[in-house]
Amino acid sequence: MKSYTFPDAKRRRYWMKKILWRHIVGIVVGIFAIFPLIWMASAAFDVTGQLSTQQLIPTHHGLSNFTDLFGNKEKPFFTWVRNSLVIAFAAAAMQIIIGAAAAYPLSRQKFKGRKVTLTMILIVQMFPQLLAATTLFLIINTFGKSFPFLGLGHQLPLILIFGGGALGVNTWMLKGFFDTIPSEIDEAATIDGASHFLIFSRIIVPLAAPVFVVTSLLSFIGILNEYLITSVILGLDGRNMTVAVGLQQFIYGQYGKNWGPFAAGALLATIPVFTLFIFLQRFLISGLVSGSAKG
Amino acid sequence: MKVRNLGAKSFKFVLSYSVIVALLLMALRFIENRSWFLGFFFLISAGLVAYIYTLQKKIPSKYLLPGFLLLFLFHIYPAIFSGYVAFTNDSNGHQISKTDAIASIIENSNVPASDIAPIEFKAAIEDSSNKLFVVFQYPVGKFWVGNSSILKETPNAQTPGFRVLNFSQTQEVASDLGNIQVHMKGGLLFQPQDFKTLQASKPVMVYNASKDELINSESGVIYRPNDNGQMVSAAGDALYPGWKENVGLRNFTSIIQNKEIRKPLLAVLAWTIVNAILLIILSFLFGLGLALIFNFPRLASKRIYRTIFIIPMAIPNVLSVLVWAGLFTTQTGVIDRLFHINIAWLTDPFWARIAVLIVELWLTFPYMFLITTGAIQAIPNEIVEAAEIDGASIFKSFRMIKLPLVLRTLAPLMVASMAMALNNFGAIYLLTGGGPTFPNTNGNAGATDILISYTYKLAFNGQEGNNYGLASALSILNFILVGAISIYGLRRMKTMEGIN
Repeated sequence: MKSYTFPDAKRRRYWMKKILWRHIVGIVVGIFAIFPLIWMASAAFDVTGQLSTQQLIPTHHGLSNFTDLFGNKEKPFFTWVRNSLVIAFAAAAMQIIIGAAAAYPLSRQKFKGRKVTLTMILIVQMFPQLLAATTLFLIINTFGKSFPFLGLGHQLPLILIFGGGALGVNTWMLKGFFDTIPSEIDEAATIDGASHFLIFSRIIVPLAAPVFVVTSLLSFIGILNEYLITSVILGLDGRNMTVAVGLQQFIYGQYGKNWGPFAAGALLATIPVFTLFIFLQRFLISGLVSGSAKG
Repeated sequence: MKVRNLGAKSFKFVLSYSVIVALLLMALRFIENRSWFLGFFFLISAGLVAYIYTLQKKIPSKYLLPGFLLLFLFHIYPAIFSGYVAFTNDSNGHQISKTDAIASIIENSNVPASDIAPIEFKAAIEDSSNKLFVVFQYPVGKFWVGNSSILKETPNAQTPGFRVLNFSQTQEVASDLGNIQVHMKGGLLFQPQDFKTLQASKPVMVYNASKDELINSESGVIYRPNDNGQMVSAAGDALYPGWKENVGLRNFTSIIQNKEIRKPLLAVLAWTIVNAILLIILSFLFGLGLALIFNFPRLASKRIYRTIFIIPMAIPNVLSVLVWAGLFTTQTGVIDRLFHINIAWLTDPFWARIAVLIVELWLTFPYMFLITTGAIQAIPNEIVEAAEIDGASIFKSFRMIKLPLVLRTLAPLMVASMAMALNNFGAIYLLTGGGPTFPNTNGNAGATDILISYTYKLAFNGQEGNNYGLASALSILNFILVGAISIYGLRRMKTMEGIN
């Protein structure tokens, strides 16, 4: 008997010494990580809608915050959602198309200026577009004088601006993936008489489909998250705003008053992004974990 | 196959030529509106599209051109343009050209012309456009029909093509009538003052082009341009609007010389750098610590912890920061109530900075955790074992072997994070608004403002009007800061490659 209890006790001591404190750290950090999320969720269902009386488990729960949010005519939540989706879909599609088109020759063709192009993209990437938000505003203002639909307060110029940032955002990542597709495949296709566009659209793009999914989702989420340039170009006019800008205008400076409906809106906007992210986290984690080791 | 090829070819042909034509038309419109640079850019674009897609045979440029045109127009040009705007006084009331500004001053200086008696008019609707006009006689014997944008002479009071309104019909269009201003020759302006008569007015300001001065013809006061794009009298009265003017280095010298700008700016600059460095160190240590703790093979639930730790990445940043701001509210906020404390998180300069760091740490530690985990997993086991055999303690093997290796692998990513931390606009602007604001300063710089948020406030949220010129000068400063860090980082990476 004794010979069995001994390793048991040893195992328990080992558990106490090496494992227990790891769980404690894990739980503490875990609480920190989900802290705003749980309070956001709890506030969304707290019918008092007050910041000052909010409890973790609301004593009076219901859906009144959601109905308040949807019923607000001056703050049209669903219009914001539509604006966000239109802008993010169009701009993410544009970013991915432009990025893929640029990555293809940079990965596949040997041409003069290839290295310079790659270095230039890397350097441009270091200076985020938002540094020049002031002049972007002035430029779009000038656009609007000649073409009203390209002016301030319209979605098209914003989509073009995000599309313009595409080269810096996606090209290197997509090029890295294209590099892993064996070049024998497109050499064979070339011998069979396929044009470069056919190789790009029928061979490279389908083979890179998984990475397109991940990069376009990252682009999409990134654009949904953008505040500065979006608020500058679209302005702070009720119907023009995106979810991010709209909810900020909704809550800023009036946490006491609008806390409940704001939390309801924030929760609604978070759920799809959160779901996508958890669904994709395997790719992201493996990408970041192995990517960092390569660098 | 041949036929399909032909179809594809003609489709390509139609597409490229319609793009070229569209770009050319846009270029013409911009040039017509005197937007010289944009006109020029679209002209060049049209040329490039024509050359690359229809004339030459090289493939790479066909794929790269659209991206590069957009990159130039919306990323590189704005940066260069900041360099230009930084040397102007572009701000509210200084956005138009001098010619336009003077025209606007003259037009707005109208006073009733006492020498012209009220003129009788009839309201009329044009049959073709259904727009409202006024028909009147000035001077006697000359008949006109006109509104704010059109003025036509007619041979007599009979106006073919127009339907003259009777008195009650005229009353119905009263509000439209009130908006009508007929611009006559010589700067005279006719406006309906009731339903029957027009009031004549004329500008009191007269521009003398040869002397470049505006004269008030009633008082005789003379206004001359000053060096800030504004007409000013000898007594110091300024006329609005002003115009955009090159002011040379003034935006930069005012940063250095003007104490009201310099003092807050230095504080902002210092906090920009301190905040970025503190954040990188804290978040790296936090991430590394977690990576070491949870990269432990016998911990069964480490994957669950990993998923929970990266939740901050899964919530839209804008929203999570706004929620944090609510939680940090003094007294009524959850944090103060939960811990039974009474800290003015967002209104006390010190605690506001702590709050900013906590939120930034929350936003960034998952990323650091993931990349340090990767770096640690990449360390070959043999090295660590060899050190253990040589008798190195856990701490020593960490400090002498793991840490240098991790730092070496992560250096490029850390540089990128540093550049991001310098421009962490969302976390700061949405949490504290850059506040609490410094007392007794020009503009609205605050204790947690970094360069980018201060720039944004100067350009779009100014208490004393929006100053695009000064904001652009600060953008340039920010470009230099980010560039210096990036170059330093790249250099370090190079020397490290050399060590390897």
